[in-house]
Amino acid sequence: MPKRQSGNRKSKQSNFAKLSIFQNNKYKFKKNCPLSIKGAPKIDYKNIKLLKRYVTENGKILPSRVTNVSQKKQRELSLSIKRARNLALL
Amino acid sequence: MNLYEHTIIARQDTSPSEIKQLTEKYSKIIEKNDGEVVKTENWGLLNLSYLIKKNKKGSYIHFKIKGKGSVINELEKNETIDKKLLRFLTVKVKKFDLETNYFSKKDESEIKESIKN
Repeated sequence: MPKRQSGNRKSKQSNFAKLSIFQNNKYKFKKNCPLSIKGAPKIDYKNIKLLKRYVTENGKILPSRVTNVSQKKQRELSLSIKRARNLALL
Repeated sequence: MNLYEHTIIARQDTSPSEIKQLTEKYSKIIEKNDGEVVKTENWGLLNLSYLIKKNKKGSYIHFKIKGKGSVINELEKNETIDKKLLRFLTVKVKKFDLETNYFSKKDESEIKESIKN
């Protein structure tokens, strides 16, 4: 994906604000995936604190284009979210 | 020998003594079918995010089991009969992480927890 250098790069806003301006824009502003950094927490169906961050209020899984999660981590994430739902933890 | 993480949700109105009986009953079943219970965790009474058989809360028991697949078939056969259980989930895992217990801090008595670590 060619990374488009957006001219008016404002201060480091939260991702939602940026993407809401370029809603149809598919390019990822942030390159790194928050879960693939060295010290990232492990994705586990018991780790509800982590799962809650990638779920909307009414419990739907956030798409990886919004949360910038890599595809491999997104698959693990969705699997563990579904397991947590099964156990009524989420 | 595979590694499994097995979680059971018991009904809201099971007294702590009954929960102990449940854990013993199921760990005996596991031992009988030459499985081995590596660790059991009692996550205590958590409120469920949705109603299961009209129960708002459920007490969670978590086993980490080492054994063959037949152990799990046996275990789940008994669990489907058991009236006290609402739901169970078995997950085959590559390796256990025994130290992180996500639920101990929140619901077990914090005093005991804060003394320990």
